[in-house]
Amino acid sequence: MKTDWKAGPNELMLKMSQLPVPYFTLSSRAVRGIAACLALALAAGVTLAYAAETQIFDPKTHKWVEYDRKKARSYYAAHKQVPETFRRQVVKFKTAEKPGTIIIDGNQHFLYLVQPGFTAIRYGIGVGREGFGWAGIVRVGRTAEWPTWTPPAEMVARDPNAAKWAGGQPGGPDNPLGARALYLYQGNQDTIYRIHGTPEPWTIGLDVSSGCIRMNNDDITDLHSRIEVGAKVIVLMQGASLYKGV
Amino acid sequence: MTRNVALHLSGTLMLLVSCGTSFAADLVVGMPNWPSGQASANIIKFGIEKELGLDVEVREMGTLTIFAGLDAGEVDVHPEVWLPNLDSLVKRYVDDKKTVKLSPKEVAATQGMCATRETADTYGIKDIADLSDPEKTSVLDTDGDGQGEIWIGAETWSSTTIERIRAESYGYTKTVKLLEMPEDLAMAAVDAASATNEPIVFYCYSPHHVFDLHDIVQLTEPKHDDGKWKIVLPSDDPAGWLSKSSAPVGWPPSHFQIAFATKTAERLPKVASFLSRIDFTAKEVTEMSYALQVEKQDPAAFAQKWIATHEDRLESWTK
Repeated sequence: MKTDWKAGPNELMLKMSQLPVPYFTLSSRAVRGIAACLALALAAGVTLAYAAETQIFDPKTHKWVEYDRKKARSYYAAHKQVPETFRRQVVKFKTAEKPGTIIIDGNQHFLYLVQPGFTAIRYGIGVGREGFGWAGIVRVGRTAEWPTWTPPAEMVARDPNAAKWAGGQPGGPDNPLGARALYLYQGNQDTIYRIHGTPEPWTIGLDVSSGCIRMNNDDITDLHSRIEVGAKVIVLMQGASLYKGV
Repeated sequence: MTRNVALHLSGTLMLLVSCGTSFAADLVVGMPNWPSGQASANIIKFGIEKELGLDVEVREMGTLTIFAGLDAGEVDVHPEVWLPNLDSLVKRYVDDKKTVKLSPKEVAATQGMCATRETADTYGIKDIADLSDPEKTSVLDTDGDGQGEIWIGAETWSSTTIERIRAESYGYTKTVKLLEMPEDLAMAAVDAASATNEPIVFYCYSPHHVFDLHDIVQLTEPKHDDGKWKIVLPSDDPAGWLSKSSAPVGWPPSHFQIAFATKTAERLPKVASFLSRIDFTAKEVTEMSYALQVEKQDPAAFAQKWIATHEDRLESWTK
């Protein structure tokens, strides 16, 4: 992820690291989806070993400095919010897609909800540690408020923390799916991927844990209130590893 | 008495013909899945219905199916046959089998690699040779491997095969990764790149609404040279098409034309004459694309509006 992006005038400018991204075939999507949810579950209460080499540009010293999950958390603690770039905002967005369409740019960590008049509401998102992992055109198949999270059987077998929620963790502030979840379908088939909230809002803007798309709870609640079931969702190839290279 | 019988028979036949038309249209226009093709298919439908009083059905299908239908007499019209992309089909059906005819009117088109103005001005990617410069193309990297990515078209497009051959011939397969995916995904990526001033390079063709939506420039490249344009299609040589092909030059001048079945021309010469006079301009085709894709106008409704506001054109096509 080579994108440089500017934060607000007093914010830090961040430079995402360049991470090697493996290629997957379409048939491995489901497998990867399960892996994504495993990682997601870990994110609920266990600190992950964060291997990304993200850097921050410090405007005072004009130097790039190492930036990691811990520092992102410190930033959030100091400002009570993510950097301005990742805050919900209306932006100019010229597109042929109709209002109500969601466009996800995993490379830049933005989710756009297309609005009339060549504008969009832009939200910050967190995506998988290995980039995004997949791309394509799907739709919102269903939604849920304060969704229950059920760990996969494999995780229950090896992780005591997950095992206690084998029957499903009720929705709530500690639930890894956060305040709302939009379930992404391809045709009538659940892709296993979701756009969901998170109890870790400081991770927005980072490549953190899962193949799902995470947003802070205020943002996913706002998005949930604006979209219709059936809405078209375009996950861009940028930052994705699914589409074949030739 | 004989005359009465004849009248009776004539009436019965008319009734049968009348009943027949209620089930099957006089003409079938194949409709491809891109916006200008959808608009022009409907303009042809409503234009012929209005001017020639025939019943016309628009039926969505792919180009190969339309050509097979033209050959078999099951489809009458293809509204937008791109050349040189479909040279092989034209050779088979127009030149050799002579079951399909092309309208003499052509709409000029372009194909090649495009970039946003930002990409050209800020990142210096202006010429096709820049795609072979790893320092320049590294800014197009989005998956973290240090190598840029560019979209070369949808998997099913004939142009995508040719773009892959061109990339191999120019040598930029060593510096960029070629991506194939549906056009909606690629265009949304252009939208997102434009919104954030991120660089992007992609296959483009005109007339197309993207040129009205964003500030787009086509990369310069060596002019087309027939002597250097050797295209072997996968259908002709599944194993060796890429190694046997070479095209280190720009596309030949491209254009598209209306095609219709030879049998249709014999059966309905006025229809053939009408189709042969249709003279859409590149600007009109871009407007069609923009109206359907950006403004989300219904193809049939757009066509009816177009017909109502272009009576002079319809008259000139009917003469």
